[in-house]
Amino acid sequence: MPEIGPLVDFPWLLERVDMLALRTAEHVWLTAIAVGAGFAISFGLALLIRRLPIAYGPITAAASILYAIPSLALFALLVPIIGRSVLTVEIALVGYTLLILVHNIVAGFRSVPAEVIDAADALGYTAWGRLWRVELPLALPIIVAGLRIATVTTIGLVTVAALIAPWGLGFLITDGFRRFFPTLYLTGAALSVALAMIADALFVALERRVTPWTRPAEPPTTPERATAAG
Amino acid sequence: MPDSRGADKTAATLELRGVTKRYGRGATATTAVDDLSFTVPAGMICALVGPSGSGKTTTLRMINRLIEPTSGEIVLDGQDVMHDDPVELRRRIGYVIQQVGLLPHLTVGENVAVVPRLLRWERERIAARVDELLALVGLDPARHRQRYPVELSGGERQRVGVARALAADPPLLLMDEPFGAVDPIRRERLQNELLRLQQRLAKTIVFVTHDIDEAIKMGDLIAVLRQGGRLAQFGPPAEVLANPASDFVARFVGADRGLKRLSLERVRDLQLGTPVTARPGDDAAAARARVLDDPFPYLLLVDAEDRPIGWVDQDDIGAEGTLGADMAVPMSPFLSPHTTLRDALSLLLGEAVMAGIVVDERERLLGLVSVEQIAERLRTPVANA
Amino acid sequence: MELLADLAAWFADPANWSGRDAIPVRLSEHLLISGLAMAAALAVALPTGLYIGHSGRFDLVAINLANMGRAVPSYALLVVFFGIFVMETRSAALFTNGPTVLAMIALAVPSIVTNAWVGLRAVDADLVEAARGMGMRESQVLRRVELPLALPVILAGIRTATVQVIATAALGAVIGGGGLGRYIVQGLARFDDARLLAGAVMVAALAIGADVGLGWLERRAAARTGSAADAEAGAATGRGPAGAERPAGV
Repeated sequence: MPEIGPLVDFPWLLERVDMLALRTAEHVWLTAIAVGAGFAISFGLALLIRRLPIAYGPITAAASILYAIPSLALFALLVPIIGRSVLTVEIALVGYTLLILVHNIVAGFRSVPAEVIDAADALGYTAWGRLWRVELPLALPIIVAGLRIATVTTIGLVTVAALIAPWGLGFLITDGFRRFFPTLYLTGAALSVALAMIADALFVALERRVTPWTRPAEPPTTPERATAAG
Repeated sequence: MPDSRGADKTAATLELRGVTKRYGRGATATTAVDDLSFTVPAGMICALVGPSGSGKTTTLRMINRLIEPTSGEIVLDGQDVMHDDPVELRRRIGYVIQQVGLLPHLTVGENVAVVPRLLRWERERIAARVDELLALVGLDPARHRQRYPVELSGGERQRVGVARALAADPPLLLMDEPFGAVDPIRRERLQNELLRLQQRLAKTIVFVTHDIDEAIKMGDLIAVLRQGGRLAQFGPPAEVLANPASDFVARFVGADRGLKRLSLERVRDLQLGTPVTARPGDDAAAARARVLDDPFPYLLLVDAEDRPIGWVDQDDIGAEGTLGADMAVPMSPFLSPHTTLRDALSLLLGEAVMAGIVVDERERLLGLVSVEQIAERLRTPVANA
Repeated sequence: MELLADLAAWFADPANWSGRDAIPVRLSEHLLISGLAMAAALAVALPTGLYIGHSGRFDLVAINLANMGRAVPSYALLVVFFGIFVMETRSAALFTNGPTVLAMIALAVPSIVTNAWVGLRAVDADLVEAARGMGMRESQVLRRVELPLALPVILAGIRTATVQVIATAALGAVIGGGGLGRYIVQGLARFDDARLLAGAVMVAALAIGADVGLGWLERRAAARTGSAADAEAGAATGRGPAGAERPAGV
C-alpha cells in the first residue's frame, strides 16, 4: 500500500497554475460547445413542435430515454462506433441537454399569454416578427432557467468524459486517482464543483437581467387619478 | 406618411356584404355568422350587440382578418379587405380587446409605438406621437412613458391600449368589450372619455358589447345580432328602442325600453312650458288676476335677474299689496337643458312634484317641464332619429 | 455490423458467466449497492422532505439543497469520498464499495427532499385547511390528504434518484467498486470493444428499465389523483421537468 502523504500539496499546485488554468479552459470550452449545439438543436425542435404540437410527445420520450442512460454508459456505447475523441464526448453531452432545453424552450413559448399573442397579431406583426420580438423575449426567463440547468449538469458530465479522452478537470481527477495523488484529484474535484457553482450564479444573475419588466419600479397607482371626467 | 391605399382619411366607411362564417363541413357545420350586411358611415360608432353565441366577436375579428370569412365581402373605403395583405391591413386598423394585451416586455411608450415602428416612421415623429396620444387618453407622458404594464392599474392599462390602437391614426377602430373588465364606475368614466375622444377624432368605430345599455350609450348605430350570427336589426338606438323589429329584439332590449329611450333625449328637446311669473314688489292684485287666468294654480316668483325664488299658491295671493319673497316656497327641482329626460323624470318623481324648473348655467329661468310632458314624449313615434 | 456480432458472442461466451467477473455476480453487486443506497437515502431524505414540505419551514434548505445537488459532479464526489476512506482506513483495498455507496446516498438525497417539498407545497392550501378544519391531526392530514396528492411529484423525485444511483454505481467501478461498471472500465483499459459495449448496454438497460418502470408508477399515481401539474410546476420554478433534476452519471 503506497504511502499517502499530506492531503493537498499546495506548493506543488502553485507551480502548476498554468496547467490548472488550461484544464479549466478546456472544461469550459467543452461545456460551451455542448450547450451551444444543444441549444441550437433544441430550439429547432421547439420550432417544429410549435408548428406540429403532436411531435412534443415522441421528441420528449426519446430525449427522456437518452437522459436516463448513465453518462459513462453512453460514452461507452459511442466509443466503439466513433472512437475516443472530442466528437464522441460532444455528441453524448448534446444528447443530455436536449430533454431540459426542449422542455424549457417549449414551456417558455407556451407561457406567453394568449391575449398578448392576439394583440401582437392584431397590431400587424408578421409571423416571424411576432416570434422574435414578442414571443422570444417573453419566453426568455424560462429558457434561461433551462440553460442554467443544462450548463451546470454538463459541467458535471464533462468530468466523466475524461475517462474517454484526457480533457478538462476530469483529467485531473482520473490522473490523480491513477497515481494515488490526492492533491491532484481533490483539486480536480474542488475546481469542477467551483466551476459549476460559478456558472449557476452567473445564470441566476442573467435570469434577473433578462426580465426588467417583472420587477415594478413603483407600485401601480391605485385609485385612478381623477382626470377631467367626461 | 400616408398609407398607400386610400386610407389617408381619418375615418373610413365600412361595409359588410353577406358576410358569413361557417366552421366545419356538411351536416356538422356550425354557422357563427350568417349573411351579415350593414354599412357604417365614416366617423360613426357602430355597436355590435347580442347574446353570447351571436357571433359579434367573430364578426369583429373578420374585419381585420384575424378570422377569415367563409364568404361575403368586407369593404373598407371601397376596397375589399380580402385583397390586402392581412398584416398590412391590420396595421391600418386599430384593435382594442378586453384584456388589453399590452406587451409585457415593452414600456408604455414602446407599446404605443409598436405600429408606427412597424410602419417605419422616423424616431422623432414616433416620440412626438406617443406623447400626444398618452396625453390624449389622460396619462401624463413624462410619468408613464417609461413604466411597464405590470406597474399599471386596470384603468391605466385600458387607456394605454386605446392609445396604442390610435397610434398610427387608423381610419377604423375595432373594440371588443374594451371596458368589460373594469368596475362600473370606471367603466362609465372610460365610456365618457371615449365619447369625448370621438368628438375630437371622429373615427369609424365598431364596438362589440353584450350590454344593451352600453350599446345605446355608445352607438350612433346599433347592430343587434341573434344566436347563429344573424342580424336582427340595424339602426340608430332610438329606432331600435322605439320600433323593435322582432320579439327577440324587443326582449333583448328590455321591457324598460321606453325608459331607455328617454335617456337618449334631453330637456332642451322639449317644448318648455311658460309659467306665470312675477317679481317681489309687483302688485299682488294684478298678479293674482294673471294666475287665475292660467290653468296652472301657481305663480313663480323670480328675482331681478330672472332667477327663480319659489312658487306661490294662487289662493295665498291677497287682493291688495305687493308680493313678497317670503311668500314663495322653493319646492321644484332645477333642471338643465342638458339633463336627459330619464334623469329629469327620475328627479321629478323622486321629489314627488308635477313640474321641474329649467334654468340655464346662470340659473336664469328658461321654462317648465312636467311629468306629463315627458310621458307624452314616450308615446310619440320616432319620426327621424 | 460486426460490432453487434462481437457483442452477441460476448454474451454467449460461457467464460463471462462464471467466476468473479460473471454477469450474474456483477449484476447482483450492482443491484445490491443500488438498493442499499436507495434504502438509506429514502430513510433519511423522505421524512426530511415530508417534514419540510408539510410544515413549510426550512424552505431555503430544500431550495439550496437542489441547487447544490445539481452543481456537484458525482465523479468528483466519488473521488473525494474515496480519498477520505483511504485516509481513514489507510487501505484502498477494503470497503471497495463504501465510498461509492456514500456518494450515491449523498447524490440521491437532494432529489428526494426537493421533490417531496415541491409536491407537498403544490397541494391546494384550501384542501389542507379544510382537512384541519374537519378535525384531522397533522399526521392524518399528511397521510390522507397531502401525500396522495403529492405522490406523483414525490415518485418523480424517487425515480430521478434511482436512476442517479444506478449511474453512480456504474461510475463507482472507476474508483475500485464492483457492479456492471466494471465491464466498462475493463473494456476501456483493455481496448476490448465487446466488453465495453456489453457493460454499457447492461448499465443502460438497467437505468432505462428503472426510469420507465418508475415513470409508469408515477403516471398511474398522477392519473388517480388527476394532478398532471408536476411538469408545469417544474418549468415554472425553472427546474425543468420535475423528474429530470440531473442526468445520470454526473
